[in-house]
Amino acid sequence: MKRTNAQWLDSLRSDGLAQEEALTDLRATIVNGLPYALSKWLSPADPLFEAFIEEVTQETVMRVLDRLDSFEGRSQFTTWVYKIAVRVALTELRRRRWKDVSLDEMLESDEGGAAQSVMTDPASSPESLVERSDLVAHIQRVMQEELTPKQLQAMMAVGMKGVPLEEVARRMEMNRNALYKLLHDGRVRLKQRLEKEGLPMGELMTTFEAR
Amino acid sequence: MRLLDALKKLFTPKRSPSLSVPPQMLPAMMRQIEMTQAVEYSCEDVHRLLDQFTEAVMRGEDAAALMPLIQRHLEMCPDCREEFEALLRILKAPLTS
Repeated sequence: MKRTNAQWLDSLRSDGLAQEEALTDLRATIVNGLPYALSKWLSPADPLFEAFIEEVTQETVMRVLDRLDSFEGRSQFTTWVYKIAVRVALTELRRRRWKDVSLDEMLESDEGGAAQSVMTDPASSPESLVERSDLVAHIQRVMQEELTPKQLQAMMAVGMKGVPLEEVARRMEMNRNALYKLLHDGRVRLKQRLEKEGLPMGELMTTFEAR
Repeated sequence: MRLLDALKKLFTPKRSPSLSVPPQMLPAMMRQIEMTQAVEYSCEDVHRLLDQFTEAVMRGEDAAALMPLIQRHLEMCPDCREEFEALLRILKAPLTS
């Protein structure tokens, strides 16, 4: 049954049969939509798929009922519901994917050719290699001076291995919002410092990207 | 001099000498720093408006121009970007209801 936003709200706030029907439709809406959201994460062939969809659907229904008053009607009700379902699902998938990885492991550097390409690109002239090497050392020093240990840890964990903010935040005993702010404050400080030193970001990028 | 050293040690903020950003991370970090704005939306700000933003994208509107702070956050925050992409996949899906 297709409902307008007002009909969804009225039915879910009512009791008896109207609410039951709305809850059934709400569950079906979530169950039908979730596989598309998770297509990059979890295959329907995965033995855990059905149980996971069920778990996320239950949690989403509870959150939707709990937050009905916060729905402002500026989108389709179902889009608002899907937004909540996506947050529930991805939060849980991230937690599962990274559950055995400590913060220290997130900070371990991957050895490989990428470092070489920044420091010792064979196509570069000796002068530009020296210049780039000096620049790398300088930026590393600026980061040490401007960032708090927490900011440095968070920036490295997120940047090094693509660890979700959510998982870094969990290990640092803060929420994702607070972690984003911590990272933003750090980026602002670094930008101000580099600009103050007369090192405009555009030029720095050119130096790194020069071949 | 010892007193001066002790005071310096006491009042100098503790840094983490062992952590040093590996060179291979610097280009990506520099790009992020370059894109940094003084005012940015938080993850919760973006979550609050993500349904409206995604619907605007679906309608073919220039959502990035209409809601630039959301667009900018999505470029900086991988978690929110994943959630936007997942929501967009649902809205693009051939769902019946």
